Amino acid sequence: MFSRFFSRVGLLAAPFLALIMAGCSKAEMTVRQSTLDPKGPVAKMQYDVFMDTVWLVVVLFILVGGLLVYAVIKFRARPGDEDAPRIEEGHGNPLVEIGLITASIGALVIIAIPTLSAIWYTDDVPVESVPTSKLSAWYPRLEGAKENYAKVVEEQVLEIDVIGKQWWFRFEYPQLGLTNDAKRSVPNEFVIPKGKAVRINLRSEDVIHSFWIPKLAGKVDLMPGRKNHMWIQGDEVGHYYGQCAEFCGDSHAYMRFRVEVVEPAEFAKWVQKQKTDAGAVVASPKAEKGKALFAAKTCSMCHNISGHYGAGAFAPDLTHVASRKSLAGAWLDNRDPKAQLAKEQQTQNTESSVEVDKEVLRANLKKWIGSSGVATGADGKPTKDVKPGNRMHFYKMFNVAGLTETQQKFTADELDCLAEYLLTLK
Amino acid sequence: MSHDSHHAPVACKTELAPERSDLGLIRPDRTTGWTDWLTTVDHKKIGILYGAFAMFYFLVGGVEALAIRTQLIRPENDFVTARMYNQLFTMHGTTMIFLGVMPLSAAFFNFLVPLQIGARDVAFPRLNAFSLWTFVFGAFVLNASWFFEFAHLAGWLNSFDWHKALVYTDFAPANGWFSYAPLSGTFGQNGQALRFTGVGTDFWIIGIQVLGIASLAASFNFICTIINMRAKGMTMMRLPVFTWMTLITAILIILAFPAITVALIELMFDRAFGANFFNPSAGGQPVLWQHLFWIFGHPEVYILVLPAMGIVSEILPTFSGKALFGYPIIVFSGAVIGFLGFAVWSHHMFTTGLGPVPTAAFALLTMAIAVPTGVKIFNWLGTIWGGRVRFTPPMVLALGFIWMFMCGGFSGVMHSAAPADSQQQDSYFVIAHFHYVLLGGVLLGLMAGLYFWFPKIFGRMPNAPVAYIASGMVILGFNLAFGPMHYLGLAGMPRRTHTYQAGNGWENWNFIATIGAYILGAGVFIAFVNLFWTAFKGKKCASDPWGGRTLEWSLPSPVPEYNFAQAPIVATRDAYFEDRHGGKRIAYENDGGEAGVHMPSQSWMPLVASAGFLFAGFGMPMMAMGVPHAGWIVITGLGVLILGIWLWAVEGPGGYMLKTPAAAGSPAPVETAAH
Repeated sequence: MFSRFFSRVGLLAAPFLALIMAGCSKAEMTVRQSTLDPKGPVAKMQYDVFMDTVWLVVVLFILVGGLLVYAVIKFRARPGDEDAPRIEEGHGNPLVEIGLITASIGALVIIAIPTLSAIWYTDDVPVESVPTSKLSAWYPRLEGAKENYAKVVEEQVLEIDVIGKQWWFRFEYPQLGLTNDAKRSVPNEFVIPKGKAVRINLRSEDVIHSFWIPKLAGKVDLMPGRKNHMWIQGDEVGHYYGQCAEFCGDSHAYMRFRVEVVEPAEFAKWVQKQKTDAGAVVASPKAEKGKALFAAKTCSMCHNISGHYGAGAFAPDLTHVASRKSLAGAWLDNRDPKAQLAKEQQTQNTESSVEVDKEVLRANLKKWIGSSGVATGADGKPTKDVKPGNRMHFYKMFNVAGLTETQQKFTADELDCLAEYLLTLK
Repeated sequence: MSHDSHHAPVACKTELAPERSDLGLIRPDRTTGWTDWLTTVDHKKIGILYGAFAMFYFLVGGVEALAIRTQLIRPENDFVTARMYNQLFTMHGTTMIFLGVMPLSAAFFNFLVPLQIGARDVAFPRLNAFSLWTFVFGAFVLNASWFFEFAHLAGWLNSFDWHKALVYTDFAPANGWFSYAPLSGTFGQNGQALRFTGVGTDFWIIGIQVLGIASLAASFNFICTIINMRAKGMTMMRLPVFTWMTLITAILIILAFPAITVALIELMFDRAFGANFFNPSAGGQPVLWQHLFWIFGHPEVYILVLPAMGIVSEILPTFSGKALFGYPIIVFSGAVIGFLGFAVWSHHMFTTGLGPVPTAAFALLTMAIAVPTGVKIFNWLGTIWGGRVRFTPPMVLALGFIWMFMCGGFSGVMHSAAPADSQQQDSYFVIAHFHYVLLGGVLLGLMAGLYFWFPKIFGRMPNAPVAYIASGMVILGFNLAFGPMHYLGLAGMPRRTHTYQAGNGWENWNFIATIGAYILGAGVFIAFVNLFWTAFKGKKCASDPWGGRTLEWSLPSPVPEYNFAQAPIVATRDAYFEDRHGGKRIAYENDGGEAGVHMPSQSWMPLVASAGFLFAGFGMPMMAMGVPHAGWIVITGLGVLILGIWLWAVEGPGGYMLKTPAAAGSPAPVETAAH
């Protein structure tokens, strides 16, 4: 009787068990945005607290769930019960009740303690991390260059300002002079040095967004009118994936970003590169024409290209657009997808990354510029926006006289030229 | 004020002489059919209407859910657009909470509470009808946004000048059920009231506002009913647990809804009149919206779950053949949950930068609320322990409730650890958690209640094999759909994203979740068809088919209009069970019989007053659209509302006498009440 019951239960449970087992493979645990594969102290701390709750819950689940299953089987009605005397009406047992309440409180104290300590640990760069993370302690002064940071910030840890907008993130390094005001901001992808604590200042220019790099840290919101902060540290070199985690309108799903964790020396080189202007366009007449179009089609009103066009401050800075591995709020990937997949499988590591593929980037640029806000594409068919509602051609929301919906249309040739030009901006 | 004297007691209300109200209009007391349903003040009919509308909206919300899952079945799918997806999840959440679960709970409150406390009706029968129709019209306003949206997509609105002038053309709300400002609000300075979203948000604001009025009116009614209209001997600690949970829920509603009412008014003022409550560029505070919303929103969770807990607390003792273990503790833990429910709202805001001290405080309080919740589960277990468990559709669903709710509670405990929650917040893990609580928990509980009380409501027994198949599909499909979401959340998939890219490792589990959702949807549909069929064609059954414990089972099925032919006098908890098996019999007062029972008159006025909300509810968003003269529709609506209430006040209460069978407890069939 019992064995039959259990075999039935087993049959029902088998698919679930199989699913759970399949879900526990290493590959499943280390996917690109896995919270179960922490690569920095903040994410690690959060993971540890999570595992504390998991173990507590598993124990409680086995105890309570087991008792429930046992009770239902053991105390099921049997034939002949109808004639049996009625069960004595009881109304509970105070000792059992008090015992269970005490035990519950005790169980919660077990997770309350790590929770409290982790709340303070994850709030801001811990004192013990500061000495090794101070700018003066690690950020090299490049040969022949002047100080890369002001005297007053030498003893501070690296700070990065993150500005959220519908639907992309802008990153600034105020201590190192990489700011939007200086025409040196970085959209979509930012870089941090390995093993150094970094403070992130979170600001929003429109609605609420949330900053989440699962492998490095849990999320903190970007609240307009508020100054939030968090800290992160990447302990392994790699290409990490993040995403906006607070619903922020039409294209919320497309609001992604990346962070590259590099060796400190690499970091210095990267900063230096961000400070260089775009050079003269010598590639081809096509690129020259693209450069002219960039102004003619009003792109330069919002986009900054240091060395070429300096009026734009609102939209992503394109000075080094061709060096970035992603486009359009990090939704479009500029790497060869097959090569990337092969590399991830070969290294068994989702943080490994191949370099930018020029042709993929060219296709992405044309797709992105050619579709945004344009009702009909070059082929005459209705376009599907890469990011619906994006501001590239949707000025209507600003409700300012003169800035109506421009509905810029591009011919195939114009798109070619623009892409050719942007590809020169390494 | 002439009523009683006009009427000699009659056996059936259709035998009544026509009577005019103080306004000079004929009262619709003698009507049958449509007019009867539109003017009814009978708590049982109102309960049935609540249930019918709620089940309809469950199906609407279910279709929205299946569209969401279909979109997510594979990466970069384009089954729906980004905006349509956002509208779908917004309306899915709003519909399920405000138009599905709350009214279905209200259906049980209406039908059962007077029966369980030995009363003949609720304290304010016409107010009860007003609550019902206000809910119906509020739901209508909210869903009317879909009609505007589809008319817009079909291009029917393109020729209007006001349509051409619109900046945003989303007509159905796309803010999520939480509608965080400033996305739902405004930006810019100098009272420009520039917006991020279109009129869908205005539909949402006014719709929720109207639904709140319905809930508040109903809650006052039930508190008065439960406190004042209990039968003799029905002390507070003899109340059936479901009635207790109704009382606590009603108190939660009247304490929680004012917060959302204020928030909605502020948001409406921001959008319509250029106020700056939540506009950051003019010094407003978006975080204020979150505090106001969640100090409503968290008690709302308990508003949804406590009635289901009450239902399960009635079903388990019945089918375990044993009194509820620890009745006082169950009642008090319900009250403690209600109380603590107001002290944990900021755990929805762990990621908003509260700072360590508030985060710690709310983390500890959230852990604390697990204690009374756990106590309930222990006591249900104690109820089964030592009993004789009979497996019936309601019992199977109730056991499913305990199991799923327990799982949801466990993931809830995980969320209370704030640092871990910062990884889980706004990820699919949260979706898994609250669907285990609200679907695996509340929906299973409510379905159990439907199968349990349907024989009482309609006198007909649902088909058990079909019920088992449907329940099995619901439980299987539910776990397939939402179990994998725990993993998806931990694998970094954020909520409210209309699509995702291949390569993140989310493809397989999303596919499985969608298949599970289809099975779940089919299961719920079969269960509802089964119940619908039962209401009309099911096999007739005895008045107490389960061996019930509380007073409603002492009545014939369907229950006569006056409920109790003679008012009961109870001497113990579980009065009906004790009456049959124990030593303490139910006594009856010497009323009813040939002298009759006083019945309240039916009235059009609650319906008329509620209809005012329909006009005002349509008018406000149309004003926001820029439709010419729409403001007059709002004014008309307010006029109708005030007129309806005024006429209601001056028409006089009326009433008539209905004869009842002389001897209480006699098996004489009461045909007059059959509908």
